[in-house]
Amino acid sequence: MPVQSLKNTDVIVPQHAPHPLLPFLQSQSQTTLTRLYQRPSSCLSIFRLLGPIERQLIMNLLWLESALSAATMSAWVLPEGKNAYDSALTVMTGLHIAPNSAVKLALNPTFKSGLRQAITGGGNTGSFGVPTDKDAKRQSANIENLDAYALERWETILHYMVSSGQGQNPTKPSQGVLYLLQRSGLMNNVHGAALQITSSGFQFLLHSPHDQLWNLLLQYLHMAEERQMDLVEVLSFLFMLSTMDLGREYSTEPLSETQKAMLEDLRDYGLVWQRKTSSKRFSPTRLATTLTSSSPPLPSSHSTGGSRMADGTGAVALSSGAAQQGFIVLETNYRIYAYTDNPLQTAVLNLFITMKYRFPNLVVGMLTRESVRKALGNGISADQIISYLTTHAHPQMRKNNPLLPVTVQDQIRLWELERNRLKSAEGYLYKDFASQADYEYVLAYAKQLDVVLWENMAKRCFFGTLDGHANVRGFIERRTGSV
Amino acid sequence: MRAIKGVLLTCDSAVKQILLTMNEKDPFVIEDLDDYHLVIKADEEYRVRRELEAELEKNTYSLETN
Repeated sequence: MPVQSLKNTDVIVPQHAPHPLLPFLQSQSQTTLTRLYQRPSSCLSIFRLLGPIERQLIMNLLWLESALSAATMSAWVLPEGKNAYDSALTVMTGLHIAPNSAVKLALNPTFKSGLRQAITGGGNTGSFGVPTDKDAKRQSANIENLDAYALERWETILHYMVSSGQGQNPTKPSQGVLYLLQRSGLMNNVHGAALQITSSGFQFLLHSPHDQLWNLLLQYLHMAEERQMDLVEVLSFLFMLSTMDLGREYSTEPLSETQKAMLEDLRDYGLVWQRKTSSKRFSPTRLATTLTSSSPPLPSSHSTGGSRMADGTGAVALSSGAAQQGFIVLETNYRIYAYTDNPLQTAVLNLFITMKYRFPNLVVGMLTRESVRKALGNGISADQIISYLTTHAHPQMRKNNPLLPVTVQDQIRLWELERNRLKSAEGYLYKDFASQADYEYVLAYAKQLDVVLWENMAKRCFFGTLDGHANVRGFIERRTGSV
Repeated sequence: MRAIKGVLLTCDSAVKQILLTMNEKDPFVIEDLDDYHLVIKADEEYRVRRELEAELEKNTYSLETN
């Protein structure tokens, strides 16, 4: 395996992976976004989703009354950081936070007032949720119950996905969830009866819970338009949830019709808890309150190797979180010892490991050629297996450098390459040209169209793609008068 | 000049030789291009892939430890 050499740069501009919701927001119209920015909680949540540079720029411009000239702002930028600065500006323009202008920089006024309100706590739009008084008759849910509820709902969904193809009969999540899974391409109806997991479903299982949650929510947003739900209402409700306090109850009174309908769906995903469907109060769970933050969305005693870093300060949280949550030990003899009793994690490991023994707190298995090939056949890639093992590595493994034994990593990649020994492409073989000049002329034309897959000057033939055939044939017919 | 419809296979030399051997029993190759490429009949691709995999499996051994 070639050794990766570190790039030698003087200024290292930190790489920040953009949040998956941002492209969706950027595809919305300006009116939609402006309506969204009228609510301070939405402004704050979107602010949290952005990268460090964008956030700094917004904070710089937030309290200015008039526009700032672009030249003044760019004077603050180091030459090495110019690319990062430009891309940050593009992101902001895409979200209509800052109108695109080369001369002046100013924030969208709605966004500006919304964010100011969010920070200074002014206004009474109720966009951060209206908390209710303690209900004297019934006990409200405490944090442990909420966590248990969220975990149970979430794991039901994942467990259903994992064991769908393997003959076990786990509890089914609700109809709405099944529909969502089908629409997002994570499962599909193979034989008309039960749902089977697809290869993108397998990849989904190996992601962190934060990514999984946002993946499903994005699907939900895409479907919102078809179900005639106002997108702005849906988004603002999600953002309101993400700013709520864990363990407090909130009233359903100020919610719109769309948002009340959403409550039922969100209950199924484990984002909110309601005593019963007609209840006038609801409580957000940890899954909801950590939507836009970098803390782990599920309680730390369980699986999950830390959530996606939404900002740089997540680095500390990630390492300490993962240290509590890593549970896999991988040895150089391909044996895996997983210190877990969680059936979902065992099921996920079963996807690419041959299980050997199972104890109350330990699962022992081996990475064999068959098990890895089975996983590769299901659409999981070698990189995903390796990154899953790395993310959930037991703290003991951190003594090793690199974390996973190189032999095992290489072997998993080799098993993947074994499957790709033969590549194929459909198309047409053109041969028996009348003369060399003829051949070169047609070949040049085909190359212009970029349809040549293989050529041989000595044999005077070449292979072109299926799509290009019509064009090449037309060209030849025009040239020679008739074929 | 002629245009023949087919599937272009790109592989390493060893796999190509295996394919040529398979071809003698059940012909599917239209043309042998060079050391790394073959053109085969379009509808035979699936069958060829399956037989190739079976052939390669014969050469792999795994040590089952207990």
